[in-house]
This record gives sequence, structure tokens and C-alpha cells, in this order.
Amino acid sequence: MQIRNFCIIAHIDHGKSTLADRLLQRTGAVSDREARAQTLDDMDLERERGITIKASAVTVTYTPPGDTSSSGGEQYMLNFIDTPGHVDFHYEVSRALTACEGAVLVVDAAQGVEAQTVANAYLAIDAGLEIIPVINKIDLPGARPEDVALEVESILGLPADGCIFCSAKTGAGIDELLQAICTRLPGPSSGGQKTQALIFDSEYNDYRGVIVYFRLKGGQLQVGDKIRTMGTGRTYNVTELGKFTPKPTPNKQPMSAGEVGYLVASIKTLDDVHIGDTITRDIDPADAPLPGYKEPQHMVFCDFYPAGDTQYDHLRDAIDRLHLNDASFTYEPTSSDALGFGFRCGFLGMLHIEIIQERLERESNVNIVQTAPTVTYEVALKGDVDEVIQIHNPADLPDPSRIREVREPIVDMEIITPTESIGDLMRLCEGRRGRYKKQTFLSATRQILEYELPLAEIIYDFYDKLKSITRGYGTMDYTFRGFRADKLVKMDILVNGDRVDALSVIVHRDKAEYRGRALLQRLKKEIDRHMFEIPLQCAVGGKVIARETIKAMRKNVTAKCYGGDVSRKRKLLEKQKEGKKRMKRVGTVDIPQEAFMSVLDPGEI
Amino acid sequence: MPHPASQSILSHAQRQASASAAVDGLYLHVPFCSHKCHYCDFYSLVEQPGQDRYRLFLDALVRELELLAGQYDNRPRTLFVGGGTPTLLPPDIWHKLLAALTTQGWLSRVEEFTVEANPETVTDELAQVLASGGVNRVSLGAQSFDLTLLKQLERWHDPRKVEQAMNYFRGVGISNINLDLIFAIPTQTLDQLDADLDAVLALEPTHLSSYNLTYEPNTALTAKLKLGRVNRIEQDLERTMYERVIDRLAAAGFEHYEISNWCKPGKSCAHNLIYWQSQNWLAAGPSACGHIDGYRWKIAPRLGDYLEKSPHPDRLDQEHLTGRAQLGEQLMMRIRLLQGVPLDMLPPDADVQSMIARGWLECTNTHLRLTREGLMFADTVAAALL
Repeated sequence: MQIRNFCIIAHIDHGKSTLADRLLQRTGAVSDREARAQTLDDMDLERERGITIKASAVTVTYTPPGDTSSSGGEQYMLNFIDTPGHVDFHYEVSRALTACEGAVLVVDAAQGVEAQTVANAYLAIDAGLEIIPVINKIDLPGARPEDVALEVESILGLPADGCIFCSAKTGAGIDELLQAICTRLPGPSSGGQKTQALIFDSEYNDYRGVIVYFRLKGGQLQVGDKIRTMGTGRTYNVTELGKFTPKPTPNKQPMSAGEVGYLVASIKTLDDVHIGDTITRDIDPADAPLPGYKEPQHMVFCDFYPAGDTQYDHLRDAIDRLHLNDASFTYEPTSSDALGFGFRCGFLGMLHIEIIQERLERESNVNIVQTAPTVTYEVALKGDVDEVIQIHNPADLPDPSRIREVREPIVDMEIITPTESIGDLMRLCEGRRGRYKKQTFLSATRQILEYELPLAEIIYDFYDKLKSITRGYGTMDYTFRGFRADKLVKMDILVNGDRVDALSVIVHRDKAEYRGRALLQRLKKEIDRHMFEIPLQCAVGGKVIARETIKAMRKNVTAKCYGGDVSRKRKLLEKQKEGKKRMKRVGTVDIPQEAFMSVLDPGEI
Repeated sequence: MPHPASQSILSHAQRQASASAAVDGLYLHVPFCSHKCHYCDFYSLVEQPGQDRYRLFLDALVRELELLAGQYDNRPRTLFVGGGTPTLLPPDIWHKLLAALTTQGWLSRVEEFTVEANPETVTDELAQVLASGGVNRVSLGAQSFDLTLLKQLERWHDPRKVEQAMNYFRGVGISNINLDLIFAIPTQTLDQLDADLDAVLALEPTHLSSYNLTYEPNTALTAKLKLGRVNRIEQDLERTMYERVIDRLAAAGFEHYEISNWCKPGKSCAHNLIYWQSQNWLAAGPSACGHIDGYRWKIAPRLGDYLEKSPHPDRLDQEHLTGRAQLGEQLMMRIRLLQGVPLDMLPPDADVQSMIARGWLECTNTHLRLTREGLMFADTVAAALL
């Protein structure tokens, strides 16, 4: 049987998961009855948000119809890997790519090529994959498949006449796509005799421990093999081996080079499995591991603190448990004067933070106060030796007298936008301390705009602003470029005279007053009135640069309360009484979750 | 937690007990309005002219009452018809309803029979029908006498109609009249409030309900607030307005007996006191809520279902509080009365000392009650008593 390993890559919302479902249905892997929307996304959260978070690998068999074509009659084993489309999950995409020989690049027939289409396509080209461009959603009223095919050709250099037009929704073009996967994508090379399997993903199961997703590049694997992970040198016995079809289906036969599957081997935690590591057999091992992946770089950090009736121990257990399932974030204990004991966590981006927080709250029923995300800063200290420290928390910034310079992460930003929004987008980037790089025409109506931007300036609302400026048509993607020194200072926030370390933020000196005023305005809205007046102050280096006041509460009384209002009123008061869930008491002031996020608001830029 | 209709959470014994319990009041809900005011969250429907379901509703209501009369004590002390706009029902419908109430025995011991009225809908004929059917108290929704403020509320009536309606009622012998007044309306000034109070006092009602405007969830007004199309007035001004109302009504000889209610001596609303004192009342009509000895329920607020399932409407939000929870709820309601909570009602665990120290509560020989300052923080106090 011939094997084709491929992945599906796309810009978010271009219909990748729906296409994957349609392929499963057409190849008979799931019956029409089973074909609920987005079969490959098995987390509730994924289905609710309509995004794919974790890559899934699925094996199906397919026999192309007809006997006149070169492939007629022969059976194919198709291994396909669904990948996330969001910018935060670049690293998962790159993992999936190295397990494949080909990629199906999905482009929306109405939206056209977008920033992540470009980014993902380049990742695939760099990985040496053969690409089949697919123009999806041709059933939409606004579809312009021919134009989009020309965009694919001019931007990505993939011939327009090689594009397949399809609609994952109606099923049009699906057979043609399956045919192309069989005929246009190369099969795997046979590899060496000795066993080499690339770990490209893993997940944790409560009953079976770690499930390892692998791609066999050489040799064979079967149940009972004693395997060794070459990076860590640990050995395990394979107790189960198989494929996802898409249900896990154990293989009694050995699996051979070129195949994609999963194995279970009594591995206790995800930390024991390194993505990118190579599995070999303990007896007769391979000479060298396969070239691995880069570890994902955590560039955004924030703290989680227990709130409401959640205790520290409870939160720790919840984070430990989630980390078993999802090793994509890092965590370590931390403490804050204002918020007590909690955890400093590292993430891939803002969406990633949101997903982890939501999973924690949903799966473990904990209440969390999350501090404002911050990027990693490099601080060069004064002294004879060149000492550079990294800080993940503004509160950790050393005393200014010890600092030679503070460096912040800079990204290369690529924005694809309708031409008419260029002016406003440039103003947005300049306002965020961006450095202009270049501007390229995609077509008469669309351009690529490139800027260098400080990561700190884009983590909060840059994407929302971009979407609103471009009326939803603009898209962005960015890659980390390096650290660069600038006039960066720590701005402290005092609530009722007390410095709240969890509200401290690192800002550019020239923008400190402006940011300070905007921040206090937000805080004033977020913190409820108390029985006393609460002064709010912003300070840089001990000097107050902005102030506001939250007036004292003057009344708290429900005017109307009659026979139909009793239960509702009682429940309302009970809720008030038990303490608002996501509040933290600092001194005598209750500060809600939203206030901790408000420090990020850059104001009206 | 809503419960399905037929499946009451009451045990058989409880059912027996509630059936034999003395009933103090009866509330009827009329779910029709000619227009939906933007601040109002009561259940009501605007029916198309000529296609209204007034008669269908009357029939269902009468059947529901008949069933209730067979199951419960049907000799309440008070009767209150609210809405919606009860006076939107034409006189012949009213005539039939009042006749049925008499026939079924509901009026045999009634001392206070109140009907809510919209000034715009009151006619001489209707006033006569109500009076001859036993109604002895009316509650008129005046809300404000300022056209710009009525517009803010999207309350459509001509303020001059208030006096006219009062004259109709007084003409047929109904002189016990409440007026509703709302303050802290967006854009309202203290001068405008004074003008409204002048207008109200000039009409010499026996009772006044004066409310700080409440932004209820799921109302047009709250939606407009969220969209920034109206602005809530400053909390400090709200408080000043409330204090102005308290002071001026006291000076005019009104007794302040509940957070938002004032009366001439002896004219407190007996029906509403049943709510604040957690006594027993029955309810009929969609969205009406009843309470018997700790058991509460709400008739499903859907007219279509109500008509279809007549005379067995769905009961939603059923709950049965007992023990400390029931007592907490009673305290929450009772503390709204200026007279306060009888000292012997207070459980040993009630933390009242801190609120006395704060100047929000004070003790008389017999009661624990809100102080003037405590009135301003009555919710904080009530939460502590729960």
C-alpha cells in the first residue's frame, strides 16, 4: 500500500477543520451519521471557539476511482495531520510539518491570501514539503476563486493552475483533492534499516499515561519493543501501538518506515517526552537522532493567583494536572506582596493565556486572578562584568541605579491589508513605537505592510485595533527578531497609598504620563466604590505622574422589592455576601480581575 | 432551579399543610400594556388592536381562580391586581372578573382591594365598574410630571391625565389613592425633582411610592445604558434626591414606613405589608409569584402557555426555604420596614453590633431598625442579616 503523509495548513477560519471532516467522511473513516462538525477537535473549548488548538493525526485508506489514471485501483494509506491556524500556535504547526512530505494549503475563496497563509506556506516550503493549494468555500456568494488562485501564484510562487477549487461544505472538489493528494504528493522515502521515529506530539490520558504521536522515518516498531528516547536516554516497553482512524485503533502488525501512529509505553508525564526527540530500539539503536524541533519560546508571561474561595494548594493541583495534559505553557511558584502566593506562567501568546485560564477554571473549578501579561525583558546590569538578567515580571526590575540598560523583545510584523487602510495602520504602528520596514503591493487593492514592533506594544489589543481599522479584512503574523534597548522604566500603581506590585508595568519613558493617565481612568471604572474614598496614583521612580480618586460609596439600596422580587433579591445579596469571585483584597480595597488587565490598555492609540 | 409544572417539590404533607394555611393576600397579574415603558421589567404584552387576547385571558384567569379557591383558603384580607396595565382591560371584562371573584368567595373578607391603573386608560365608566365591584384603593403610575423625563423613560402618558383619573376615582368613592413617582431619571436635576414633588403633593394622594430608578436587566433602558445612549446620574446626586424625597414628604405629613413607601396616617398598603412581613399570598396570572409558609413559586411568564394549559399553568422557580435560610429571607424583607425587625425574631448569630456601631442600625425597646444613614445602605445591611 502506498503512503501519503500530509498536513492541512491555513489561515484561521479558512475552513481547515471542516475540510478535514469532509475528507474523513469521503474516505469512509467516519460515517455520515457520525460526521458531527469538526471531528478532529476533541476539546469542548476548541469546538466552542471554532479553532483547532492541538494537532491531531488521523489515518484513512483511500482507493482513487477509475482505472485509466496512473493511480487507478491502488490503495493508499493517507495520514493527515490537522494543525492550528492561530499565530500563537506556530510551534505546533512546525512540529506537524516535519512529519509530512506534503501540505494542503487551504485558502478562503472570498478572503484570499492572508498573513497566516503566507507564514504557514513559508514554513512548509522551508521544510521542503510539496504543496497543493486549495481554494475553499467556492460556494460562498463572494467567492472569487480565479483571483485568489492568481494571488497564490504571485505571493507564494505556487502555480495558479495547480490550485484545486473546492467547497468543504458542499463536498465539491473533494474527490479531485483526494486524487491530487495521491498523485501529486511524494511518498515517504524508505529510510535506514535502524528504527528512527520522530515524536511530533504527545498527549496525556488519565488511564494510559502519555500517548506519543510519532512518524517512523526508518526501520520498524511493534508492540513489545523496548524503545529508547535518544535525547533523554530513557527506555520504555511499548504496550500499545496503533493509528487514529480517527478512533484509536491498535496495530497487531509491526509499523514500518513512512507510517504515522501513536504508542503507549507506561510513560508517566509529558515532561518525560520531548517533542522533536527521536525514538529508537534499545537493541540495535540508530546511530544518530533525527534533526529535532526548536523548543517553543515563551515570550509572554503572567501570574495566576487564587481568588475567591480557591486556596493556593487547590490552584497548584489544578495547574499540575493541566500541565500533565498540556505542556505548552511553563509555570513556577511566585509571590506578590499584594496577592500572596501564586504562579508565574509562560505562554506562546495572548490566546494561549486565555485558553489555559479557561481550561483551568472549567476543568478544576478554581477561581483565578490573572495579572496583566508582560513580555520578557533583558536587563544589563552596571558593573565590571557584563551581567545580563532576564525578568518576566515588572516587579522584579532592579533598582535603576544598578541598571545599564533595559532591552525588550522586538518582532517582525507582517500585515496584509486593503490599501485604503494603510494610512491608519501606519499611524497605529508608529503610535506603538514601530519602525517602518517596507510596503509591497499584492494586487491593486491589497498590500503587505512590514514593521518592526516591540512585542509589548502588540500583546494586548493590537490585533483588535488592526481588525477594526481594516473592518475585519486585515491580518497579521509576526516572528521574534531579537532584543533591543530603549528608554524603559517601571511604572508603579498605588491604590489607597499602597503600591500594588501586581499592577506595576514597564513602559517607555516618553509615554509614561499618557499611559499613566489612561490606566488610572480604567482602574477608576473597574474598582467599585468602597465605604471610603480611594486615591489612585501612578509613579515612576518615586515621582507621582498621575492621580485619580474613586469616590466613597454614598448609597446601596434597592428601591423596589415586592412579592415577585424576593428570591432574586436574596440570591443577589447572597452572591454579594460570599464575595465576588474574581476579587483580590489589597489592604482594604477589593480589586477585580478586570483591573489587573486594565494596566495593559494603551489608551486611544 | 426551575421545576416542571406538574412535579411540585412539595411533599404530600407539605401540600396538605399549605392547602390548610391561612391566606392573607391574593395577587392577580394582567399581562397587557398598550406600550412597553423602557424601564419596566414586569411581564406584559402589547396586543394588536382587534386581535387581543383579553377575553381568552379572562376565561383562563377565572378558571385558575376557581381551582385555587377549591385548593386553598379563599378568604384573603387583601387583593391586588397588578400588571402590565390592568385598566387596559375594557369595563365589560372587568365586570365579569369582579363578578367571578365575588361568586368564588374571594371578596368575603377582603379589607383592601387595590387595582393598578395607568392614568391614560382610566374612564369614568371603568371607575364605576371597579368601585361597584369592591375595589377600594387604586395605584396610579404617575412616575413624573415632566414631559422630558417621561420621554427619557419612554413612558407615554399626558401628566394632566393623572389628576383627571384621580377625579374619576374620587367621584365613585375611591379616595385611597397611591401615586408612583420615579426619581434619578437620566438628565433629571434637583429642581425637576422638586417640581415633581410639588405636583404630587398638590394632588393630595393618601399614599406615595417613590423609587430611585432601577436599571433592571433585560429592559430597553439598561440596553441604552450599556450602549452609552443614556447616562446614569451621579450616585451622590441620587442620594441627595432620595434624601430630598424623605425630607419633603415628612414635612408634608407623610409617614415613611418602607424604604420607598410613604403614607398618610393609617393608609399603609396592607397588601404590600404581606410581602415585607413574609405572610402568605396566592398568585394567579402569568408571571405572578405566590408564597405559602416558605414555599415560593412563579407562574410561567408566557401567555400562550398560560392559555393552553389553563387552568393548570406551569409553576417555575419553585423553592421551599426552611430554618435559618427562611429566617434570613424574612429578615431581608422585614428590615425594609422603617419599624424594623422585632427583636425576638433575631437569631443569635446575627452580627448587628458592627452595623449599630457604624450608625446604620438602632434598637428600640421592641425592634431593630434602620437609621436614616442605614436607609442609604439597606442592601449592605440586608446582606449581613441573610
